[in-house]
Amino acid sequence: MTPEETRDFEAKIRAYVGREVGAPTRGKDDVNPAMIRHWTEVTGDESPVYCDQAFAAKSSKGGIIAPPTMLQIWSMEGYAMCQRPEMDLQRELHKIFDAHGFVGVLGTNTSTDFYRDLRPGDQVTAHTVIDNISERKTTARGVGYFIETVTKFTDQHGADVGRQVFRVLKFMPNAETAEAKASTAGAADKPAPPTRIQAPRGHDNAWWWEAIDQGKLMIQRCKGCGTLRHPPRPMCGDCNSTEWDAIESSLEGEVYSFTELHYPKFPGYPYPLLCAVVQLREGTRLIANLAGCEPEQVFIGMKVRGKVERVDDKTVLPNFYPA
Amino acid sequence: MNKTTRRYGSVAIGEKLPPLRIDITSGLIIGGAIASRDFTPVHHDKAAAQAGGLPDIFMNILTSNGLIGRYVTDWAGPDCTLKRIDVKLGAPNLPGFVMTITAEVNAKDDAAGTVDIAYSGDNNVWGTHMSGIVRVALPKEA
Amino acid sequence: MAARISDKAAIVGIGATEFSKDSGRSELALAAEAVKKALDDAGLKPADVDGMVTFTIDQNEEVDVARAVGCGDLKLYSRVPYGGGAATGTLLQAAMAVATGVAETVVCYRALNGRSGQRYSSGVSGNLITGSAIHYSWYMPFGLLTPASWVAMFTQRYMHLTGCSRDALFEVAQATRAYAVNNPAAFFYQRPFTREEYDTAKKICEPLRLYDCCQESDGGCAVVVTTPERAKHLKQPGVLIRGVAQCAARGQEEMTSFYREEIARIPEMDLAADEAYAQCGLSAKDIDAAVIYDAFTPIVLWQLESWGFCKYGEAADFVKDGNLRPGGRLPTNTHGGQLSEAYIHGVNGIVEAVRLVRGTSVNQPNKPVAHALVTSGVGVPTGGAILGRMG
Repeated sequence: MTPEETRDFEAKIRAYVGREVGAPTRGKDDVNPAMIRHWTEVTGDESPVYCDQAFAAKSSKGGIIAPPTMLQIWSMEGYAMCQRPEMDLQRELHKIFDAHGFVGVLGTNTSTDFYRDLRPGDQVTAHTVIDNISERKTTARGVGYFIETVTKFTDQHGADVGRQVFRVLKFMPNAETAEAKASTAGAADKPAPPTRIQAPRGHDNAWWWEAIDQGKLMIQRCKGCGTLRHPPRPMCGDCNSTEWDAIESSLEGEVYSFTELHYPKFPGYPYPLLCAVVQLREGTRLIANLAGCEPEQVFIGMKVRGKVERVDDKTVLPNFYPA
Repeated sequence: MNKTTRRYGSVAIGEKLPPLRIDITSGLIIGGAIASRDFTPVHHDKAAAQAGGLPDIFMNILTSNGLIGRYVTDWAGPDCTLKRIDVKLGAPNLPGFVMTITAEVNAKDDAAGTVDIAYSGDNNVWGTHMSGIVRVALPKEA
Repeated sequence: MAARISDKAAIVGIGATEFSKDSGRSELALAAEAVKKALDDAGLKPADVDGMVTFTIDQNEEVDVARAVGCGDLKLYSRVPYGGGAATGTLLQAAMAVATGVAETVVCYRALNGRSGQRYSSGVSGNLITGSAIHYSWYMPFGLLTPASWVAMFTQRYMHLTGCSRDALFEVAQATRAYAVNNPAAFFYQRPFTREEYDTAKKICEPLRLYDCCQESDGGCAVVVTTPERAKHLKQPGVLIRGVAQCAARGQEEMTSFYREEIARIPEMDLAADEAYAQCGLSAKDIDAAVIYDAFTPIVLWQLESWGFCKYGEAADFVKDGNLRPGGRLPTNTHGGQLSEAYIHGVNGIVEAVRLVRGTSVNQPNKPVAHALVTSGVGVPTGGAILGRMG
């Protein structure tokens, strides 16, 4: 789009901000035990205040309540959504985005406040407003705009029972993402669980990883002066010899430093994930994961013992356990 | 099933909730969509999901909300009251994935008697499916 | 013997784009704007530029920037490696060129879409070039993939050895935030924060939480370096490069020096400090204000020790005594730092250090600033520069 086309487009979409998407939607069903049971069956929610009349009556709730997470469900449009969904302002707005190439849509956030518990017999009505449209954003999926709608839920007395902010991204899928998606979509099989990022292997380190694959943790040793070194290097910094062999580590050591990795979480790695600088008895150090202990139990100086083991379909690694 | 409700005073910032593993199946995705009356085709029709670029149907947002709500109330007990659920959505949940929810108590508001639970639901294939804060009120006295 | 580089070059112009999370334009557009603003600030024309220096990781080719801005013939182009460790290294390249006559007017620049484009927090992955690939092979399979994770490993040990607590890390974060609140260019302009927000922010890598980590930003910054003679005839008062050093220490790795005798210190910064002080005959007591590279809160503590503002292990008390604050011994990161202004890989810090010497910072200390220190990224080969007024 040229800057001028962008201006026209933005003027068009901004005209929707502040408007109700349509008349308030009165839920087709009042709050009722059957729908509550259908919902809790699927979510696996066994809380007795949703289904056990006797328990609920004696609890602080004073009777059956609906799971708060059903707030939005009572006023959903239902089966028409996959037949002929009713045209409202929100769908009209999305169509304008579609017409300008912003065909992608992705729910990014919901934030829901619950003002009171809903009980069988309550009648829920939803009032939805297009609250704001962001500036144009560059996202990993492509360029687009975040649209925020705010829905106020009221009961049969007109009192507010909850509020939900719903944020979607309408975006122009970038070529790279679209292509990647198309190739995934074409694949007959489900995506396989990912493995850890593999260590790239080259002249100076492949032998070490090959030994790991065989279950051995090796330490490079200079043939000239006997110095042990890790990570491996092609030349000895002490005597400049390029001749070397390796010894097998005892796998005994202690934690020299450590950290628990919280964020970002990478697919293929198990969390909680603890990573340590391990000081081996032989004198060299290496990075490895700690296993068999809780993050709170780890301390600098903790004695550990290593085990070279398979951690996923592609990866064998040394793990260190409390000794 | 947890029939005992946690008391506000017994909960400490930093307390971890027990992790919950959920197998994501077609049954869960479609069942969740229909029980939430969400008939959007991408949640029950594989061809529609593939037309949108994903290999299979995926979980709707209401079900994600339902699962995180259940996770927190399971821990807090029947006399708790959910006050707020914030969900930041990430990678979709598809059939065959396993989602693990972990969480810890992140903040407490003495005046309101509420605790904030910071949670993350991570699937084993594409990573974080959802993360955010759940605010729940707990009774003060036993 | 220290290098004879002191007072052979001066910074005569500074430029910066807006800082944002989404610039909406190319990195080249950011670089060109920053360079043009720095030249305008100096009262120089693009045709006056005959040298350009940047980071190896900058995506903007020197000749592309030169063409965009309309510079003429270049006699120097040079790049400094190791991420943010390059920041003041660019000044060293420029000063050497100016001192030897290789070039007369050199622009140092750095521009990146560090938030809307490639984010460093997303970590290293399989897509690396050869040398780095083998290096990171020792870390990737274990999940130790991000700058925060590497710094956390050093931090945990530093805290263990010195007794430093999160109170000191908070003070570093809080001090930069308090400065940023007054700086319209800063991300956290008019947005102060509390200890509670700091303590409840998302955990990144133990013991670091979100506000222990810098911004990720889009933006560009540039400075113009020329001879002191030429500086006398330009628009702004020249700011002398009194001392400048770049150093890698024995056993150094890029971010992962886990195998040295003691990892809870930064010997490369000790070396840089010794060298820069020796060049100009100054010491810590002569430094009036500082811009200390703050990609993460703990690295500020280690640098305070390296540059002699306190002894090893005493930086936590030094900062908790309020010494980074406006009335303190060493007002530091007066622009808000990279924690609270923007992350332009330390070059926004060089710009701020020049302002401190000129007397034009939005948080200008209420005392004369004869000398300001500015440092480069930590964990990598690094460096620092001492800037001072022209006589």
